[in-house]
Amino acid sequence: MQQANRLRPFFENITFDRADNELILNFGPQHPSAHGQLRLMLHLQQEQITKAYPDIGYLHRGMEKMAENMIYNEFMPTTDRMDYIASSSNNYGFALAVEKLIGLEVPRRAKVIRMMLLETNRLMSHLFWLATTALDIGAMTVFLFAFREREYLMDLIEDYCGARLTHAAVRIGGVPLDLPDNFIADLRKFLDKLPENIKDYEDLLDTNRIWLMRMENVGVISKEMAQSWGCSGVMLRASGVEWDIRKEEPYELYDEVDFNVPVSDKGDNYARYKLYMAEMRESAKILYQVLDMYEGTGPELMAHAPQYISAPKIDIMTQNYSLMQHFVLVTQGMRPPVGEVYVATESPKGELGYYINSQGGAYPYRLKLRAPSFWHTGILSDLLPGHYIPDVVSIIGTTNIVFGEVDR
Amino acid sequence: MRAYTPKDDVQKKPYYTDRYWVAPQVAKSDVSEDAVFAADFEAIKAKFDVLDAYIQVGQMVIVINAADNFGVIELMKNELAYNQLSELSAIDWLAQEGKFEIFYQMLSMSKRKRVRVKCKISEKESIQSVEKLFRSADWSEREMYDMFGVVVNNHPFMKRILMPDDWEGFPLRKTYPLQGDEFAQWYEVDKLFGKEAREIIGPEIRDSARVDRYDTERFARLGHEVPRGADISQGEPDTPLCYQENEGVFMIEKFDAEKSVVISDRDR
Amino acid sequence: MAQHQVNYLKDGGLPVALTTIDKVVNWGRSNSIWALTYGLACCGIEMMASGASRYDFDRFGTIFRASPRQAELMVVAGTLTKKHAEFIRRLYDQMTEPKWVISMGSCANTGGMFNTYATVQGVDRVIPVDLYLPGCAPRPETLQYAVLLLQQKIRRESASRAQKPKRLM
Ligand code: SF4
Repeated sequence: MQQANRLRPFFENITFDRADNELILNFGPQHPSAHGQLRLMLHLQQEQITKAYPDIGYLHRGMEKMAENMIYNEFMPTTDRMDYIASSSNNYGFALAVEKLIGLEVPRRAKVIRMMLLETNRLMSHLFWLATTALDIGAMTVFLFAFREREYLMDLIEDYCGARLTHAAVRIGGVPLDLPDNFIADLRKFLDKLPENIKDYEDLLDTNRIWLMRMENVGVISKEMAQSWGCSGVMLRASGVEWDIRKEEPYELYDEVDFNVPVSDKGDNYARYKLYMAEMRESAKILYQVLDMYEGTGPELMAHAPQYISAPKIDIMTQNYSLMQHFVLVTQGMRPPVGEVYVATESPKGELGYYINSQGGAYPYRLKLRAPSFWHTGILSDLLPGHYIPDVVSIIGTTNIVFGEVDR
Repeated sequence: MRAYTPKDDVQKKPYYTDRYWVAPQVAKSDVSEDAVFAADFEAIKAKFDVLDAYIQVGQMVIVINAADNFGVIELMKNELAYNQLSELSAIDWLAQEGKFEIFYQMLSMSKRKRVRVKCKISEKESIQSVEKLFRSADWSEREMYDMFGVVVNNHPFMKRILMPDDWEGFPLRKTYPLQGDEFAQWYEVDKLFGKEAREIIGPEIRDSARVDRYDTERFARLGHEVPRGADISQGEPDTPLCYQENEGVFMIEKFDAEKSVVISDRDR
Repeated sequence: MAQHQVNYLKDGGLPVALTTIDKVVNWGRSNSIWALTYGLACCGIEMMASGASRYDFDRFGTIFRASPRQAELMVVAGTLTKKHAEFIRRLYDQMTEPKWVISMGSCANTGGMFNTYATVQGVDRVIPVDLYLPGCAPRPETLQYAVLLLQQKIRRESASRAQKPKRLM
């Protein structure tokens, strides 16, 4: 089979050598610093970029189509694979959307556990962002440091749900498990050390000449541009818009905890880096408060709604009616009411929204995943022109895009 | 007799639905119940036809005529302070009424409100682009075209975005099967090796429940390796996991489970 | 898929007589496998983790390279989509002989949970694979064990002859 190789990709039709001295450079789709499968067609004048065309879809796996062919609970593990760096936040967004659709209230302990998952995931994601961006810019030490902390968090999550990367740790209507024995103590130990660790990274980077050169005043996104492109999360806050869905449209227990939303009005790479660091500290602050909340909660983990949610395992094992319900829910799936819902949550990357259109069937009629990275990739086409080749890497780094989410 | 499967909607259906089952509805309330929404609704209604408007799950839904979409979004952006278009996509209702439903999910940060603007177009119609108002619509509209085949007028770069340029069919239409049509299933083989290689490479194995436990031609199980093609229907011998050949490798220390230390403190 | 026998030592000897030169070359080769970073999706994150602090791939002599010309092992970590298929083949062709491929994760093995129109149902439809790692995502330990197995495989091959053409499915 090896001889019959007839590769003629599209870009071979492009004239790379042009009369006006413009060079066309193909970047990706398999580039080590593209954070996944991003392909950029860059038009260059010398080293300066005049036009940039991001080309995505190299990780399009058809998740929306899958959702239309799956019962609601079945789709939960698939959401893991969207933003695979912080899986639980995707699970949570989906669970919340379905809960809003069927009008469920989740028990308090489940809320506390979900908050813990969400914030540890935010920490994991930010640490990973720091690691990879630093690696792209050449700071190998920071990469190793940040991964050290991330492994600790992954261990914690593994203690909780058994998986390192793809958690599926949230269910519609609650969480499947209670916290393992020493989870709280371990997490506290981690949080106590975190400020020290963050200080380590900042010592390495904040005044580092190379880091500053590649970050400061590079990739400046203005307020208007960020809003027009539908940016969210750190991308938006670094441009001076104070908008954090956790604060403005609080879900779960975010209205009970006290935290700040760091904002900067510079809009450049460095501002974004600073915000990520500040957000890690805020996450730690939230986690401390949530850890204290755990004690006073009752043992309930799943909402009680026999029409939609299976009864607890003990009931399924002992009571006939619960067993029947469970059987129906597992084989046919729950049937939410007819209607549509759009629910946005603040994932580590930005506004993660789920639009669900239910026609009363066991399968969603249409499920649209609003992933923040999609627009954060789109903005590259407006952002890159005017910059130089080495800036491309640092700009892609600070946009914090994940391709599972961009392409879905 | 084989069960009838409708051709215009090939999505999965539950195997059983109670004949008398009536689906409940998500509650809709009147627009006037929320002062902010009511004011916005009045402002839109003053200039454009509004076919329907209600509040559902805390968000206002406005149904308009497809021809007004640019005007309504422009009004909302410039006068009603809806400064972000968070999402834009379509829903396929071709089987039911021959139409696509297009929704614009708007967000106002100053009012902290979300509004969904919806309109319907038929399959042959196209819709006006709102890319001039919100750059985010640039990619969303391309995605909508890619997935549904909804053509958008006045768009600067109306090309496929997620699927390859030479793709055939629109994947999110209800007529498109989950596992793809014939073009999709042979896409990579046709492209890389040519159509004549189809026979050599063979069709895709799409049955996820297929287990070929006794296939020793192509697979060996870890820890139970046997010679190629051996018959293992009577069971296979155990091969202990080993990190190295028994006789060792020059200059490389052999892993010894006895001498290794288990670190219990994970903070190392 | 690769045509290889397993457990040669136990079942009827080696396919070729290994000379001392073979042994020396293979010793070097097997202990300095340079892998092409081919993180396609979630599994790519675990591949990075196995190269990072705790799991530390460097101690096996495996260093991730970004260029196919410098690599001899391709770890396909993640979902291969139809749009990407031509590029994986292109990069595989650009790698110098001898070359090996590890397919990491269910997606790369069989398409995994993405049984959809956009996913290639297993990279072995496009490039020949030597080792399949099950899991979604496989842990970094799994990848490291796979590399150790691959080292054993390399040590049993003849170093001087060109690699036998591997066949696809
Ligand atoms: S096997 Fe699982 S973890 Fe790996 S790429 Fe596929 S979905 Fe992601």
